[in-house]
Amino acid sequence: MKIDRRSFLGLGLGAAAGIALSPVGVKLTDDSSIWTQNWPWTPVPEDGKITYDRSVCNLCPGACGISVRKINGRPVKIEGLDDHPINHGGACLHGISGLQYLYDPARIKTPLKKTGNKFEKISWDEAISLVAQKLGEIRESGAPESLGLITGADNGSMARLFDRFMGAFGSPNTYTMPSLESNLAQTAAALHSADRRLGFDLDHSDFILSFGAGIIEGWGSPVACIQANASRRERKAKLVQIDYRLSNTANAADKIIAVNPGTEADLALGLCAVLLAKNKISTNTLSGDVSKLPFAAMLEKAYTPDKVAAITGVNAADIDALAMAFIKAKAPVAVPGKGRGDAGSLREFAAVQALNALAGRLNKAGGAFVMCPADYLSFPENVVDATAEKGAGKAKLAGSVNELADKLETDGGLSALFIYNANPCYALNAPEKIKAAMDNVGFKVSFSSFMDETALKSDVILPASIFLERLEDVVSGAGLAKTVVGLCRPMVNPVFDTKHPGDALILLARAMGAGMAQSFAWESYDACLEQVTGKIWDTLSGDGYVVINDKPPVGTPRTDFTFLVSAPKAAASNGEGEYTLVPVDKMRLAGGAMASSPFAVKTVPDMVLSGKYSVVEINPATAGVLKDGDIAVLKTAMGRAKVKIGFNEGILPGVIGMPRGLGHAFNNPYVAGKGANVNDLIGPVIEPGSGLDAAFGIKASLSKA
Amino acid sequence: MSELENKANDDGPGGGVHHGTNNGPEDDKGLGLGVVFFMGAFLVCFLSGWLLFPKLLYSKKEQPFNFDHNLHVEETGDCESCHYFREDGTFSGIPGLEACMECHTDEPMGETDDEAVFVDEYVAQGKEVPWLIYARQPDCVFFSHAAHTVAGGMDCKSCHGHIGESSSSRPYEENRITGYSRDIWGKNIWGIKKNSWDRMKMDDCADCHLERTGHKGYCFQCHK
Amino acid sequence: MIENKKVHKFGMVIDVDKCTGCGACMVSCMSENNVPFKEDESNKKDSITWMRVYKLTNGKSFPETEIAYLPRPCQHCGGIGDHGHSPCVSVCPATATDYGYDTGIVSQIYTRCFGCRYCMGACPYHARYFNWWDPKWPEGMENYLSPNVSPRMRGVVEKCSFCYHRYQLAREKAMIEHREIEEMEYQTACTTACPAGAIVFGDLNNPAHKVHQIVKPDPHPDPMNHKVVGKSRNPNVFRLLERLGTNPKVYYMSEREWVRKAGDNYLKGEWENVKTHHGASSSHG
Repeated sequence: MKIDRRSFLGLGLGAAAGIALSPVGVKLTDDSSIWTQNWPWTPVPEDGKITYDRSVCNLCPGACGISVRKINGRPVKIEGLDDHPINHGGACLHGISGLQYLYDPARIKTPLKKTGNKFEKISWDEAISLVAQKLGEIRESGAPESLGLITGADNGSMARLFDRFMGAFGSPNTYTMPSLESNLAQTAAALHSADRRLGFDLDHSDFILSFGAGIIEGWGSPVACIQANASRRERKAKLVQIDYRLSNTANAADKIIAVNPGTEADLALGLCAVLLAKNKISTNTLSGDVSKLPFAAMLEKAYTPDKVAAITGVNAADIDALAMAFIKAKAPVAVPGKGRGDAGSLREFAAVQALNALAGRLNKAGGAFVMCPADYLSFPENVVDATAEKGAGKAKLAGSVNELADKLETDGGLSALFIYNANPCYALNAPEKIKAAMDNVGFKVSFSSFMDETALKSDVILPASIFLERLEDVVSGAGLAKTVVGLCRPMVNPVFDTKHPGDALILLARAMGAGMAQSFAWESYDACLEQVTGKIWDTLSGDGYVVINDKPPVGTPRTDFTFLVSAPKAAASNGEGEYTLVPVDKMRLAGGAMASSPFAVKTVPDMVLSGKYSVVEINPATAGVLKDGDIAVLKTAMGRAKVKIGFNEGILPGVIGMPRGLGHAFNNPYVAGKGANVNDLIGPVIEPGSGLDAAFGIKASLSKA
Repeated sequence: MSELENKANDDGPGGGVHHGTNNGPEDDKGLGLGVVFFMGAFLVCFLSGWLLFPKLLYSKKEQPFNFDHNLHVEETGDCESCHYFREDGTFSGIPGLEACMECHTDEPMGETDDEAVFVDEYVAQGKEVPWLIYARQPDCVFFSHAAHTVAGGMDCKSCHGHIGESSSSRPYEENRITGYSRDIWGKNIWGIKKNSWDRMKMDDCADCHLERTGHKGYCFQCHK
Repeated sequence: MIENKKVHKFGMVIDVDKCTGCGACMVSCMSENNVPFKEDESNKKDSITWMRVYKLTNGKSFPETEIAYLPRPCQHCGGIGDHGHSPCVSVCPATATDYGYDTGIVSQIYTRCFGCRYCMGACPYHARYFNWWDPKWPEGMENYLSPNVSPRMRGVVEKCSFCYHRYQLAREKAMIEHREIEEMEYQTACTTACPAGAIVFGDLNNPAHKVHQIVKPDPHPDPMNHKVVGKSRNPNVFRLLERLGTNPKVYYMSEREWVRKAGDNYLKGEWENVKTHHGASSSHG
């Protein structure tokens, strides 16, 4: 017997036939096709019981109620809370994508300490004792006032706790980032009285005169404003938008008044002048307002229709007609704050509010409300020792955060700085200047949740749990005509080794010992909140919100026009160039302390962000040799950026609109490194009398790249 | 190459033309051997395909501890006491520890080793029991228990068989390629089914749907 | 039993005049349906957005310029004559997408799709998207994925499902309570998210539903173009490329004529004919 190739053939054929007749073939075919459909690396989300938890979003001052859908306790979706008095079930894209912030690649996972240029992980104990030791040295040196604080919001228990800390420590140097809320508070202080807030009753107004306010683009409490706008048709309420570009709000408006950028205040005063000249203002409405006569005289002299027309670019007849339409409406209201209202001059805000005052629209349904602050917090008396008293009694270094930056850059003056809920190294104009100012502070402590531009400049980071991981009271504000306190609740245990900033403060105060520890004698922030919210705690924790007030305030407040009479000059756009560059706020791009989420950035159209370029809007009529889609170099006195040209018929000739909220520079590839930060190109113009950065734009030139 | 050449040389003298006749008897032997090889290989492969292949294809895993369905059904009276609908109409599936603790305490109720494992390793530590689910469908499948048992009037047995009468947990077999439970394809390696619960592939769903509703159903009816 | 149930025809009407272009619907959709995201999403051709908001302009110079935002989910076409032969369904060689005659929803099985992308070519609305890459979530972010929609993999096409899983959940609740689902129990994620209330969703076959009351769909074929069924009898309501006879179940509404005109491509003079004879759309060709 010889084994030849036929034997092998037989072997092979036999094996093939055996396998063919066995189930191997059919089974492997089926299994392999299944395998190709279910890659092992495709995630399989765990199923389970669906529950819904109520909370409040605090990504912006909107204070919307949210409903968090959970599967077996794991949050999977954020939606608007149906029965919430602010947003009535609606939600904005940033709130809906809130869960992405939990796992954001830029989140700070543990306390950090900077050594050289690198951050080093440290434990909470180390971090607290390190900060406490530094602060202790400052207090011992007898200059507690050299501790500064830059914060984002100035209401709610967290703001009060920081104030309390500063008070017990002994420093007056607290600075709030400019926001619609702070601008309105400053306006109220200048025109009415200190410690008042302004609200605009858009829901009941039948004639909204918006001075560039992006009512459907993130102004105020964004969802409430979008809903107020959506109901206009049924209510037969008009919207007139004063703007220099066809914003979405302008597009939704019944009428657009095209105005030269930065002249909104002049137009508002021009409208006041028309009303006065035509005796449309009953003197009763101004009784008791001591400065009305000088104000009237000023209007008569400086704001004649022709003069206003020349400044604003709106013709005199239109100004006249607008004033008459405004005063004839049943419930008109004038709304200040261009875009989101974060920037602007006090002159502009005050001029618009003066129009409300002259037209008798204060504290009337559908008008402008001068409201008392939400007074629901009662803290035990702060323990202030002699050192603290002496320090806190000293004058503030500067009037505003912008002035502070100037001061720090030139002479220094702070030995330590706390930064909470703010990203000044991105959000303020000329961030490089802010960074230089930060370099002149010896010891910077950040309470940020994310490694953003400002956190990167810090020396120690005490990372904060985000709103989905913590308990906190959230007060409505930002121009909302009602006062609602909502309760933000932890929806999930902290994902990383972060703490509630309130707890971090309590630990810090405890580590400082003595009076500081007595001031912060609570076991935890949660215990503190329950104590200080006192009477409303039961309702707040039960319903998730408390409506403090939703009616017009009683009585007509006094209006003091002295600030306007002092004739503050309009801020001019500085620099050189044939164009005026203005920042443009977009609903889909967050602009403040919070960067956008990956989802939000994904929704940004290619007419706003194209590849790595910001797209700037420019009217084809003044584009010169530039064509739509060209890459160009945009140059201002502050800097230059490569941008893409986007032709837009809807922007005033000679104006370049550049989106705000792009050009972040931190470690989140989904959000940062896209486009340019418009704030880099604009220099601050500090307004005398208010300290606000009144820059509405800057002169710019464009050349083909 | 050289071997082939040698082979060609061996055949050489015979030449191509005489190949068939000259080597006749050897050829027969060769064929006979070929048949033997064929049969041998056939049998080995066929039998391994039948017997060895399933053993290789599936990995066996034991449940965390033995579960006596029969005993529990006797105590509670039905399936729904543990496998219930939630208020929102979704099906709870295998009960979590919390549901077990409605009857059980942190003291063993019985005297079996399994009970001790349950109490010591899971109840005492507040840990969920990582049951291996025989009937688990892949993630792309949506299955509504409410549609089948409440609206369709089917009983549990139609799909799950007599698991409620078992007193011990059989090993969980996982397909090494797909990661599916063996119950999806069925115990029979050919996929031949005798009972309605023997196999739970898409065609089995579609057949029943066609029979009962007149239509196999649309994609989203069973997929998500 | 399914065959005894009333046949639904789920659809939506979007008030273009109310839409502010805020993007809440897009994000609500992405977060509801486990839609992935990439580092660079500025190339909109490969950016998976089941719901996409398009910006329209009337093409006029300032100050007559007007813009409108047009949210575009899958149109859930009924196909010519509304018989269920949607453009995408008819071309799928894998039967990975089909038309649900009980709901009117174009459904699909992601795992069955082998990525030929014929459906994308067939869809006149660019509503379908291909997964060129495997989805990748930053570390830990898989934790927010919902079990109600299976995450897709590289090589398959996906699109809006009218949040079918929400229908399933609503049905399950109704079934154990032995009743039919109610209008507000089944609403898509984009509808519930819209802060302007611009989207109305419901059963076009149910006269009690708001969407039916707004759209007033004509149950008879259009006498001028038999391919078209379900044309709105509301003069402000239109569908995209209606004359093709794809019979979408997504309707749009606008008081502005130029917006309604933007819903199709008209030859010179054609629009005047269409707008004055509303409900009578002539066939292409």
